[in-house]
Amino acid sequence: MIRAWTFPTLLSVLVVLPGCRKSEQIDKPTIAFVMKTLNNPFFIDMRKGAEAEAQRLGVSLIVQAAEREVDVEKQMQIVENLIQRKVSALCITPSGSREIVPAIRKANEANIPVLIVDTRVDQKALAEAGATTLSFIGSDNKDGGRIAGEFIVAQLNGKGSIAVLEGIPGHETGDDRLHGLRLALDQAKGIKIVASQTANWERDQGFNVFQNILQAHPDVQALFACNDMMALGAIEAISAAQSKHKIIVVGFDAIDDSRRAILKGEMSASVAQHPEEMGSLAVEHAYKAMKGERIPLEIPIRIELVKKEDLLGQGSNK
Amino acid sequence: MSLDNSAPMNANTQNDATPSSSGVAANSSEIILEMQKIRKEFPGVLALDDVNFELKKGEVHVLLGENGAGKSTLIKILSGAHQATSGNILLGGHPVHIESPRHAQDLGIGVIYQELHLVPSLSAAENVFLGREKTSPFGFIDTNSLRIATAQILSGLDITIDCATPVKHLGIAQQQMIEVAKALSLDARILVMDEPTSALSESEIKQLFSAIRRLKAKGVSIIYISHRLEEIFEIGDRVTVLRDGKVVGTKAIIEISRAELVKMMVNRELKEQYPRERPPRGEEVLRVDRLCRKGVFKDVSFALHSGEILGIAGLLGSGRTELARAIFGVDPIDSGTISVKGKPQKISSPRAAINVRLGFLTEDRKSQGLVLRLSVKENITLSSLDSWSRAGFIDFRKEEQEAGAYVRELRIKTPHLRQQAMRLSGGNQQKVVLAKWLSSKADIFIFDEPTRGIDVGSKVEIYQLMNQLTARGAAIIMISSELPEILGMSDRILVLRHREIVTELAAGEATQESVMRYALGA
Amino acid sequence: MISKELFWQNSRQLGTLIGLLLVMIIFWILSPYFMTVSNLLNIAEQTSINAIIAVGMTFVIITAGIDLSVGSIVALSGVALADMLQAGHAGPLAIAVGLMVGALCGLVNGSLISYGKLPPFIATLGMMSVARGAALFYTDGRPISGFNADFRFLATGEVLSIPVPVVLMLFLYGIAYLVLNRTKLGRYAYAIGGNEEAANLSGINTKLVKTIVYGLCGLLSGLAAVVLTARLNSAQPIAGMMYELDAIAAVVIGGTSLMGGEGKISGTLIGAFIMGVLRNGLNLLGISSFTQQIIIGSVIILAVLVDMTLRNDRKPLFGKGLFK
Repeated sequence: MIRAWTFPTLLSVLVVLPGCRKSEQIDKPTIAFVMKTLNNPFFIDMRKGAEAEAQRLGVSLIVQAAEREVDVEKQMQIVENLIQRKVSALCITPSGSREIVPAIRKANEANIPVLIVDTRVDQKALAEAGATTLSFIGSDNKDGGRIAGEFIVAQLNGKGSIAVLEGIPGHETGDDRLHGLRLALDQAKGIKIVASQTANWERDQGFNVFQNILQAHPDVQALFACNDMMALGAIEAISAAQSKHKIIVVGFDAIDDSRRAILKGEMSASVAQHPEEMGSLAVEHAYKAMKGERIPLEIPIRIELVKKEDLLGQGSNK
Repeated sequence: MSLDNSAPMNANTQNDATPSSSGVAANSSEIILEMQKIRKEFPGVLALDDVNFELKKGEVHVLLGENGAGKSTLIKILSGAHQATSGNILLGGHPVHIESPRHAQDLGIGVIYQELHLVPSLSAAENVFLGREKTSPFGFIDTNSLRIATAQILSGLDITIDCATPVKHLGIAQQQMIEVAKALSLDARILVMDEPTSALSESEIKQLFSAIRRLKAKGVSIIYISHRLEEIFEIGDRVTVLRDGKVVGTKAIIEISRAELVKMMVNRELKEQYPRERPPRGEEVLRVDRLCRKGVFKDVSFALHSGEILGIAGLLGSGRTELARAIFGVDPIDSGTISVKGKPQKISSPRAAINVRLGFLTEDRKSQGLVLRLSVKENITLSSLDSWSRAGFIDFRKEEQEAGAYVRELRIKTPHLRQQAMRLSGGNQQKVVLAKWLSSKADIFIFDEPTRGIDVGSKVEIYQLMNQLTARGAAIIMISSELPEILGMSDRILVLRHREIVTELAAGEATQESVMRYALGA
Repeated sequence: MISKELFWQNSRQLGTLIGLLLVMIIFWILSPYFMTVSNLLNIAEQTSINAIIAVGMTFVIITAGIDLSVGSIVALSGVALADMLQAGHAGPLAIAVGLMVGALCGLVNGSLISYGKLPPFIATLGMMSVARGAALFYTDGRPISGFNADFRFLATGEVLSIPVPVVLMLFLYGIAYLVLNRTKLGRYAYAIGGNEEAANLSGINTKLVKTIVYGLCGLLSGLAAVVLTARLNSAQPIAGMMYELDAIAAVVIGGTSLMGGEGKISGTLIGAFIMGVLRNGLNLLGISSFTQQIIIGSVIILAVLVDMTLRNDRKPLFGKGLFK
């Protein structure tokens, strides 16, 4: 039996050795960045920005995420483990706006400054728990939803039917985007939302759910998806259905794949958020907080609608 | 009527069937198969002891013997599933070494087992040519030519079957014919048929026999295994009788009578002494009245008294174990009553049976009697845990006392009570199962093949235990395929045949032959 | 002679324990943050939810069955309990409702398997979908959050400086040990898993016992839901996804065979901790999440391979239990 366990331990050691060197640098201050997931190009870009800034500042950076975006409990465990590791500052993109609060509380108790990125934490829950965060770095999702809505209204000339693909229910991000969309659509009396369903931020679910929506509403004219992954899935469903009229698709995040789709004419527009900027600003301010400096409570990141013309003007994919 | 001095076939006694009407090739003397001095040893058991068997071209050679006489072992050696420990096989005069079933097939030996080996969802043609399908240049199966070829083979046997329907829609008789066709398509010169008529109707049997006659005419030789004496006399040319792994004799069918056949099957010296000590017979403890279960057993009635051992004899498939299971509540009954100690009981589950003090020592102790991974102690108390627990918690001390007492009383050889049951020898395992029933306070026992697979020393111990039990007033129903055991230990004997009781004999009157005759319907 | 026999019968758990200690020593060497009291308590707390579910799973697997629906039952019990709390009902009542929902789902599983004669894999696969759908339907997909401090004490509180979930976990394992080793129910569970037909022929009411075992598993999933809800201060209908795999992994790494009839609860606890230690240690070392998945998966595979080679009778690991 002892023999039987040497293999897995050897395996662990071999894989872990490269990571060894990092842990030797206990004295070097470490910033931890806990994301929702590393499977989404949006967060991969955010990570790039964060790592670049960390290198520039000469500070070490740990980036971790749970395997699945839905796994709030695992994200909490990661935060707890990083607290054990005595990191100097914590940046989090919460998977659950309320569920992450207990973890933030623990970080507070360990005197680790906490910065929230991209998705807001529920303020009420935060207050009830007596926890605090130093800053929010992100774009105004309501605004993003609004400009997407205004774009659609313009494209449809104020009249028509639209479908919506939502994110994971209860996520502040998705809720805000929808809110903004509705504000814009309310201005145009002739526009009706015929279907609004969740595809949980995922591409394959976007395909299936929109395919079903098309079955029920073959004449739908526009689609707003709360993120690009779902929009890209929906585009595949549209081409599979070979509908006779063009459906206007607007996504959110403006990742590379959707920029390509916009150039090809498959997607009409996407709301760009600049995740790289979010990542680097987060690290920059986390560093300041680490050193005890005051940082602003809100650091808004600009948001804009990316259309084909914008991309052609820039020459190629960004 | 005593049959011990029966005259040869030619006398017109009503027990003898009409002479064999096999006709044609029976006179050919070309020997196509010889099995010489075949010996097969398994760990602890000698299954075949210097068996000589020969098959002539175009004959139907019957292989006859009790359960466990060695018939299936011999066939398995011929079909390549087993290898003989020593001995030779000659095909057409040339020595061969049959290495595998595939090899046997290549040599022209085809076996048609009782459990048919067809794929139910495929058609007759597809089954016959399974694995050898003719394909077109593109790789598609040429279904049409398969069907034509199959129909041709079948018409050679004077049989018509729709070669396109999935075989699950065809009757058993037709499925059997497809198996024959399959063997023929592989150019089988020797066909082994194992109990081919057990599931057939009268008219289907006639069809089968006419097909067999056509096969003979084509020069195919057939080894025919069956218990049905009427059929043996109708279709067979010669018969070889096996008993306890040895050949008793080979005779031409026309030269022998049924009574002689039975005698050959069972005539053995009763070397073993059976230590039966019969106590005075007590009250009736169990009465079974007209028990029926459709397709399984019919109109079974008997009574059992305390102090008694009631033996139940019969061939495989006669319904003995099924009867036991129904009495014990494992399987349901369609009609009839069971009364225990005078009171009618509805026994719908094993627990209900245990509550009226029944115990069932099953045929296969490993798969049905014991939980092999549990310890000796745990197995002994498995049925009686309620007595050693309070509020759901087991009183370990009481449990160990109980188990320990039985280990001592039954002399179960085990290093300690916590030994896993799987590590005990067969005889000791059987004692553990018995201890389980004793612990559950059973006094009416059903023993199904109680000494199967057990060494001689332990066998005697078990017989002595049976004596002790009956001396204390218990009653035992003993099902056994070993005739000497039935005769040696039973006080009365019931014989089952074709799912019904055909007779009840007192121990003193019965002989191996008479029991076997009733079992065969001779 | 006797002690040698007993040693070998418990040897697998001993081996697993040695494995756990080895892994812990390795992390101790590699990271200074690992072997601190607060981190160890951290690990224990994080392991507790899976460990609680794994108790129920151990019982089920001992009877040669499997329960794929535990994660979904966690979600359904959680939202039921949260709904009660939101409506203003007292904590104990809400908890009771959560537990009952879990037990009910488990009893349905058990009945389908025992009386409906469905294979456990199929019955619990169906329940996995049904319970999840019910949770989503009931809450319209949205989580229910925000409970009072008394309730949250179940996750955030401490008893003698030990987090409540850990105390609960240890207490449960103690009870499970008693039930499995000292009660009729436990004995019957082992008998049924070892040889269901023999158990039936010995007069054991196998159908009732199996139904109870699955009910117990559902109940414990409900208990895990209580802890999870208190910990996150929220009950999500999407909670518990893939939890069944973690629970099964804990049981299997702990040396209980999927074939049924044997296994010790102590093994499950060790198995759960091996997984908790691995996750924590790899996080501390900053190992990328992707590598973490590879390592954890490899450990599970190796543990099962080791188990197969050690089994006396070399029977296949996947036997009758799953598909029969």
